[in-house]
Amino acid sequence: MRHPMFWLILAVTALFAGLPAIGGDVGLRETLFLAAVAIILASNLNLMIGYTGYVNFGNIVFFGLGGYFGVWLTVVQGWPLVVAVLAAGCAVSVVALLFGLGILRLRGAYFALATIGINEAVQALVSNLDVWGGSTGIYLSVAAYQALGGARQALWIVYFLVVAVMAASLFLSWRIRSSKFGLGLFAIREDEDAAAVLGVNPATYKAAIYSISGFLPAAAGALFFFKNGVIQPDQAFDLTLSTEAIVMLMLGGQGSVAGAALGAFLYEQLRGYLLTSPLFSDFHLVVAGLLLLGIVLFVPGGLMGWLTQRWPRLRGKLE
Amino acid sequence: MRTARKVFATVVLASSIFAMGTTAAAAAGGTLTIGFTVSETGPLNVDSLAQLHGFELWRDQLNAAGGLKIGSSSYQVKFVTYDDQSKSERVQQLYSRLILQDNADFLFSPYSSNLTATAAIISEQYGKVMLTTGAAEDKTYQLGNHGLFQMYTPATHYLSSAMAVIKQKNPQAKVAVAYSDDGFSKAVAGAAKEEAKRLGQPVVLDEAYAPGTTDFGPIINKMISANADVMVGGGHYADGATLARQMYDQKAPMKFVCLLVAPDSPQFASLGDAAIGISVPSQWEPSAAYKPDFGPDGAAFGKAFKEKFGAEASYHAAGGYAAGLILQHAIEKAGSLDSAKVTDALNATDATIFYGHVKFATDAQNHGLQIGHEMVLAQWQKKDGQLVKEVVSPAAAQTAPLLYPLH
Repeated sequence: MRHPMFWLILAVTALFAGLPAIGGDVGLRETLFLAAVAIILASNLNLMIGYTGYVNFGNIVFFGLGGYFGVWLTVVQGWPLVVAVLAAGCAVSVVALLFGLGILRLRGAYFALATIGINEAVQALVSNLDVWGGSTGIYLSVAAYQALGGARQALWIVYFLVVAVMAASLFLSWRIRSSKFGLGLFAIREDEDAAAVLGVNPATYKAAIYSISGFLPAAAGALFFFKNGVIQPDQAFDLTLSTEAIVMLMLGGQGSVAGAALGAFLYEQLRGYLLTSPLFSDFHLVVAGLLLLGIVLFVPGGLMGWLTQRWPRLRGKLE
Repeated sequence: MRTARKVFATVVLASSIFAMGTTAAAAAGGTLTIGFTVSETGPLNVDSLAQLHGFELWRDQLNAAGGLKIGSSSYQVKFVTYDDQSKSERVQQLYSRLILQDNADFLFSPYSSNLTATAAIISEQYGKVMLTTGAAEDKTYQLGNHGLFQMYTPATHYLSSAMAVIKQKNPQAKVAVAYSDDGFSKAVAGAAKEEAKRLGQPVVLDEAYAPGTTDFGPIINKMISANADVMVGGGHYADGATLARQMYDQKAPMKFVCLLVAPDSPQFASLGDAAIGISVPSQWEPSAAYKPDFGPDGAAFGKAFKEKFGAEASYHAAGGYAAGLILQHAIEKAGSLDSAKVTDALNATDATIFYGHVKFATDAQNHGLQIGHEMVLAQWQKKDGQLVKEVVSPAAAQTAPLLYPLH
């Protein structure tokens, strides 16, 4: 009998894949697509913030770089989408490892500032990189979707691939959490110097998790921008999305696999509902801001913290 | 997860009820629904909202006059809009919703080229007609779409009239090109450099600056030391207005200056003497005197706009109204709400309205690209102690001669 988390992740994935597929509900697909991307970003950010205690404000750099690698490999180089997505993930992981070796010597606010700096520097670099279209970016023509049977079918394929990346993110978070490697990360989070004394090599662990946390967001970025039809530096490296991912994590409860996913899903649904609601659409940002302020002030442990406090039995089942 | 499902179920249920209500209203009242997103928030909101006002004026005037007529039937026009927050992230979700849940018969584009390219992936799948305003980049119409129709003169022609004026006034003029490093400005500046090359005018400075730049001192010094005679470029309001003011403060001896977007805003007059002589390529000016084949003339549109919104109409507002007018004309010509028939009518459109000439490219390579509309060149001049924006080119729309040289 496997752990309840295994079945929960499997059930969530099946729901995401199955619900819009039944009856071909495109509206639902679009809603769940954004929710799946949010879950991927929040889950992988959780590896850095929740597990290791390092606040990565510039986490969107992985998503944006992955988008550029993926779109460029697919559209300009003609690679098959799945291969391009995996290559984008690998390329970004290598870049993240190199960045990580440089900035992970910093701690606290200095590290957080450095991650913003990296995002800005990469955006400036890409804006001047002619091979990626510079500041005008890369546009996808209708023909770019022909290899997948036309745009209509391509969008479904991209959706299922994003759901697969979401499932991989959840499994990865769960497995790392219960592994020796994960315990090492938790030790670093609690006290980095004490962890070093206990035999954990902080430099290696941190560089490794920084690199790992870049792989799946990069794959998601490649899929997102392929579906989006255009990629430009300002939208690929938008710091607001970085901040939103942190908010999702705080909302759900950092350090928890289910919390990150729940926070991301609820935040995304809330924003989508407020934007399209005839009642709230004129002041959706105000309502969203007030709700989040309330949660941060009154439920500091996030939704999972509140749930496990109220029903302690959940603690062993929902990680 | 139970909480999440409850919230999710509520959202889906509410959406379904809303969609059912919309369908019922459409069947009962002879309503024609046009869907689009507006950048109500985010950096594009000023221009996007001006465009929305243009759409609204067209809708209200049409509905007050009895609605859109197809044969013996009349249709009241209804808008369904959502805020895209000036970001492409949600555009596909919202356009899917507009088409599938809100049952939009026709679409207007979001503001800006990249958001439009993103929306077009959805609109094309459902064979919807989408008129675009504020999506000037040529690229957007070279992607193989069939239902996109551009109201603006493409970005590559933004500075054509300015370059022609320069050539006419001084064939040997040395040109400085300084522009914001964003997609639209870069496309415009690239075409201007090509045009200068074609006309045999040397480009002595080619400088892109970051969109948030506030200190243009080093760039202005470069222009002066390169002995440039004329300067073209800029980007959007904030940088363009700052650049104009700093050129004035540094007494840059340019004989002609043409900046994108910023000088079109009535706000530009707040620069005082620094605004004098600055020209701007504009999609439309209130004083441009075109004789329309149908719809109001420029004066009537400007007056109605001012009465409704208490402000002068910008070219973004005129573009919005013009998009509605052209769509209305095409539907009436087609005598049907069928997208394929309206597409054919739009392909055949070759008309002059208050906004100027409108004609769309119909070849597969550039389908929907605007090839009829010419931009006007406007220039800030001082008349009776007041700063006014005059149309200086083309001759058909001219309201005052060009002020040249400035120094």
